[in-house]
Amino acid sequence: MKYVGTSVNRVDGIKKVTGDLKYVDDLKFPRMLYAAVKRSTRPHAKIIHIDISKAEKLPGVKVITTGKDFPKRVGLYLEDKNFLAVDKVRYMGEAVAAVAAETEEIAHEAVKLIEIEYEDLPIVTNALDAMKEDAPLIHPDLGTYKYASVFAPKPDTNISNHYKVRKGDVEEAFKKADYIFENDFYVPHIQHCPIENHSAIASVDREGSLTVWASCQSPYAVRLALSVAFDIPLNKIRVLSPAVGGGFGSKAGTTLEGIVIPLAMKSKGRPVKLTFSRKDEFINSFVRQGMHSKFKTGVMKNGKIIAIKDQYVWDGGAYTEYGVNITKAAGFAAVGPYDIENIWCDSYCVYTNHPVGGPYRGFGMSEIQFGIERNMNIIANELGIDPIEIRRINAQKVGGRTATNAPIDTCGLLDCLDQVLEDFDPNEKVESLSPNKVRAKGIAFGMKAPSMPNNVASSAIVRLNEDGTAYLLVSAQDIGQGSDTALTQFAAEVLSIPPEKITIKTGDTDHTPYEWQTVASRITYCAGNSVINACEDAKAQLLELASLKLGIYKRDLKLEDGYVVSTIYPDKKVAIADLSLGLTMPDGSGIHGPIIGRGVFIPPNVKDHDHETGLGDKPVAYWTYGCQGVDIEVDTQTGNIKVLNVVSSFDVGKVVNPTLVEGQIEGAIVQGIGSALWEELKFKDGKPLNPSFVDYKIPTANDMPEMIIKFIENEEKTGPFGARGVSEPAMIPSAPAIANALCDALGITINSLPLTPEKVLNAMKEKNNK
Amino acid sequence: MKYKINFILNNENVEHEVEANRTLLKVLREDFDLTGAKEGCGLGECGACTILVDGRPVNACMMLGIEADGKEILTIEGLSNGTKLDELQLSFVNNGALQCGYCTPGMIMSAKGLLKENATPTEDEVKEAISGNLCRCTGYKKIVEAIMEVVENNK
Amino acid sequence: MKNFEYFKPSTLKEASELLIKKGANAHILNGGTDLIIRMKEGITSPDVVVDIKGIKELHNIKFDEKEGLFVGACVVLNDMAHNQIVKEKYKVLSNAAKSVGSGQIRNKATMTGNICNASPLADTSTPLLALDAKVLVYGPNGEREIPINELFVWVRKVSLEHGEIVKGVRIPAYENIIGDFQKISRRKEVDLSTVASTVVKINDEIRIALASVAPTPIRARKAESFIKGKKLTDEVIEEAAKIAASEASPIEDVRASKEYRIEMIKIAVKRNLNAVRS
Repeated sequence: MKYVGTSVNRVDGIKKVTGDLKYVDDLKFPRMLYAAVKRSTRPHAKIIHIDISKAEKLPGVKVITTGKDFPKRVGLYLEDKNFLAVDKVRYMGEAVAAVAAETEEIAHEAVKLIEIEYEDLPIVTNALDAMKEDAPLIHPDLGTYKYASVFAPKPDTNISNHYKVRKGDVEEAFKKADYIFENDFYVPHIQHCPIENHSAIASVDREGSLTVWASCQSPYAVRLALSVAFDIPLNKIRVLSPAVGGGFGSKAGTTLEGIVIPLAMKSKGRPVKLTFSRKDEFINSFVRQGMHSKFKTGVMKNGKIIAIKDQYVWDGGAYTEYGVNITKAAGFAAVGPYDIENIWCDSYCVYTNHPVGGPYRGFGMSEIQFGIERNMNIIANELGIDPIEIRRINAQKVGGRTATNAPIDTCGLLDCLDQVLEDFDPNEKVESLSPNKVRAKGIAFGMKAPSMPNNVASSAIVRLNEDGTAYLLVSAQDIGQGSDTALTQFAAEVLSIPPEKITIKTGDTDHTPYEWQTVASRITYCAGNSVINACEDAKAQLLELASLKLGIYKRDLKLEDGYVVSTIYPDKKVAIADLSLGLTMPDGSGIHGPIIGRGVFIPPNVKDHDHETGLGDKPVAYWTYGCQGVDIEVDTQTGNIKVLNVVSSFDVGKVVNPTLVEGQIEGAIVQGIGSALWEELKFKDGKPLNPSFVDYKIPTANDMPEMIIKFIENEEKTGPFGARGVSEPAMIPSAPAIANALCDALGITINSLPLTPEKVLNAMKEKNNK
Repeated sequence: MKYKINFILNNENVEHEVEANRTLLKVLREDFDLTGAKEGCGLGECGACTILVDGRPVNACMMLGIEADGKEILTIEGLSNGTKLDELQLSFVNNGALQCGYCTPGMIMSAKGLLKENATPTEDEVKEAISGNLCRCTGYKKIVEAIMEVVENNK
Repeated sequence: MKNFEYFKPSTLKEASELLIKKGANAHILNGGTDLIIRMKEGITSPDVVVDIKGIKELHNIKFDEKEGLFVGACVVLNDMAHNQIVKEKYKVLSNAAKSVGSGQIRNKATMTGNICNASPLADTSTPLLALDAKVLVYGPNGEREIPINELFVWVRKVSLEHGEIVKGVRIPAYENIIGDFQKISRRKEVDLSTVASTVVKINDEIRIALASVAPTPIRARKAESFIKGKKLTDEVIEEAAKIAASEASPIEDVRASKEYRIEMIKIAVKRNLNAVRS
């Protein structure tokens, strides 16, 4: 292959290094108004009265809206939220009212003048407590909410989804097991922290047509949600996403768009802009849900695990319209990358008075696999088996079964392990140069599938220009992962045109074709297939015309470097440019017209699971597997951890662009290090304590380890050129690998993230007191 | 009340009127449409707004517009000469040292500031110099490599 | 940020008169890395801001054998940290300065600002306390010197009168300073101190200063007098670290618990003392 598999430079590189690329907050329109949001100061309360009279009088204030203006509930999978609170607030920071004014300063001043009278309601901030029978109900009307049929909310409780897996007979297996282990784990709320804060601009013209510029991952999903929420037909809504400064899931749904639109509807044609502050970003975009996990594991003496009964309780926060799907995804991977015969898994999405939980890179997998991978090491240590050996014994392999009892036909997991071990000797002891420090090594697996409904669609259009250059139109969003470049490479490969002759256009629902969402590491796979199909369509048209022109059968023609060429007589050829507008016949007449290729894609044969057992032959398109080894140094006096070396291997099917894929893995490792060592959005009685980079620390360049990035290329048969997604999976093993290294080397137990210095010292103390 | 200030902006003398309470970042973005410097946190923690003031990296969100009076300001837009990119910009593109691009202008300006002061920094010095610039996408490896390539080329 | 009147006087006299004339709601602007945040968040909303960076003499950094080192109020931390004399003769001060914020912040922030904010966790306060620095103050009634330990009154409160302006900090000249600065923080780069400490050894006299352990940065005088006349053995160091920890009264906050801070004082002081004994 000529272009796929090579490190083509990013097609958006120059725009980005020059600062020329305009993100939403960089846009400015004539007569634009600026919005600010009045936010709840209570974690759970009835709204008794909102007084906007003082704010209205402030000069420069143009529009004020409250939840009463648009009381219709919305939600991707479960309609449980309003963009502005109606009657009740359910978390501290929830949007209650919004102002549009001539300047940002006036808007903020006006917000201060809005007075809200609340009546406090009892709060519940721990998901385990929220499941109890006497817990205060956060959504007493849950039973009346609309939801997608694959979910199972429980009316009159705080449980908005219960996904279960019932495979084999765990109780019977526990009786047979030589050993039973029970362990609990917890991962806290964390934040995506894209460097670009959310931003949206909305404008409504006199025809009633709505245009929204949003830093969003999924323009079509946003368009649909807005259409439902505001009763506007889809052909009257245009959503543009000109550029996205990092997403990681936080920009997957609709957040602030629903706040600016009501303002724009009343602003007499003036556009309204709202940009989140970093504090808003921490509290009011999605957070990664906190999660309590519990495992009962039945193991034989030889290390074979015969049964796992586990429970995942997700702190979904005040609204779980998106979060319910994470609990389902977790169920599909109930026991991680292991083949276990008997499984009983309950995954609950639970309402609490915390910020709204939602998708975060890995979509449930990082959360559950922290516990799964720690559990594995704890069991290995108790049995005196090498942690790698116990993984080999239980790993999913070709011919085995996944948690949902789906047959496994491709699985590079142990290949990845072996590839990591080429550069990583877990048993080699390294002495630290400092007497206060200890070196430690650990390993963890990770796996993930694209977590998406079965029938999600992608499409692409390719248009050839008169000079043989081309436009590629998709609505897959380049949120940094490099999809613009990878998709261009696919088009270049099929059309045999160099990437620099192809311009990709994305993110405009009026002009670029349908794409469900840019999430789930699904773009290379789904959008990639649609791009290939569009280019194949264009290619078929070109060959048809060339066949006429050259008098050669289509089967004897191919595309090569901008020409349709005979495979038999290479000097017989016609330039793509000369066919781009159709074919001119010898008599001067023309046929066909411009070459426009269309391509569509839906993952083949992905089917619903059984509701009672959670089992299904193909509930996901494919699984991506991988492994990481880490080498850390622990300061045993302060408890500080430094990650020194990481070796990573993932089975990506096909490396489309080595530099880009390495970049995804490196970024995921470092993000994983952040979640392992520092990241936790802390709360006290529902109040966020550290919503800023001052006290929520993410890694700097100085925290980057040495990284060796390797790949296995076991072809994914339905993937574009064999490729499967990897951007999310790569983050999953980082935190458990670090925790395993730490705990094994020091002989301590820490079963929650992050691994703060304080937890390390306390665990060491506990060990010494034993 | 507005105050008159004079400063050099991307190699040109400018005279401008500013209100005292506006940050230099707002002035650059709103008055001069120089949107390459971004606001990521507003508290001097993320570095997305990094520009050079008299040749040294500064957070434009931590400086009042009025403090620019008499200073020489260089933003990412002033770094390249037309379509001729600065060596750092080229190296970032060639090394894949960017993903979403939001931190990129600030990151490049911090690197530029370092190289102006020390043309031959070590890798550790590079890491330290850009530790005030948060990047959530890349894991920093290719950024450090891109900067080191420029250092090596200039040796 | 609320709007305000801005002045940039070129003399201390002018600046001081402005502050007095404009009253209590006039605020000095120096590096601005703290004030601008406070103004953005509405914690401080001055009507008048007096930018002292137009006063030339405040940009000086100079050394002589008799008077010692003078660091003008407007000298930015990076300039001070990389100053040749500071690096040679006051290395511990240079190290403390380098640990403040990011490179971008250090190109704007100053040591005088760092201490005048009276944040309990000001990194540069510890070498200044250990080195018995003096704060040179210009005021309507003439100039005065405040010993650094008398500057800090409480959290964010200093012993300066309205209208007074710090000209800079003077650090006495010492024959030979053996010093060590320790900062314990969550993340190595660009983080606030969980605990910061400086120990200096000047002719056999050991001085210990701590930050982020009490409402103000402090000297650990009991630990100092315990050490006095003793050889720095492992046991003496261990005991001195314990005493130093007992002199502190740290709080629990989002960064660390009180117990962890007390542990870290011991570790930091031990590391300091080990560094200066050899």
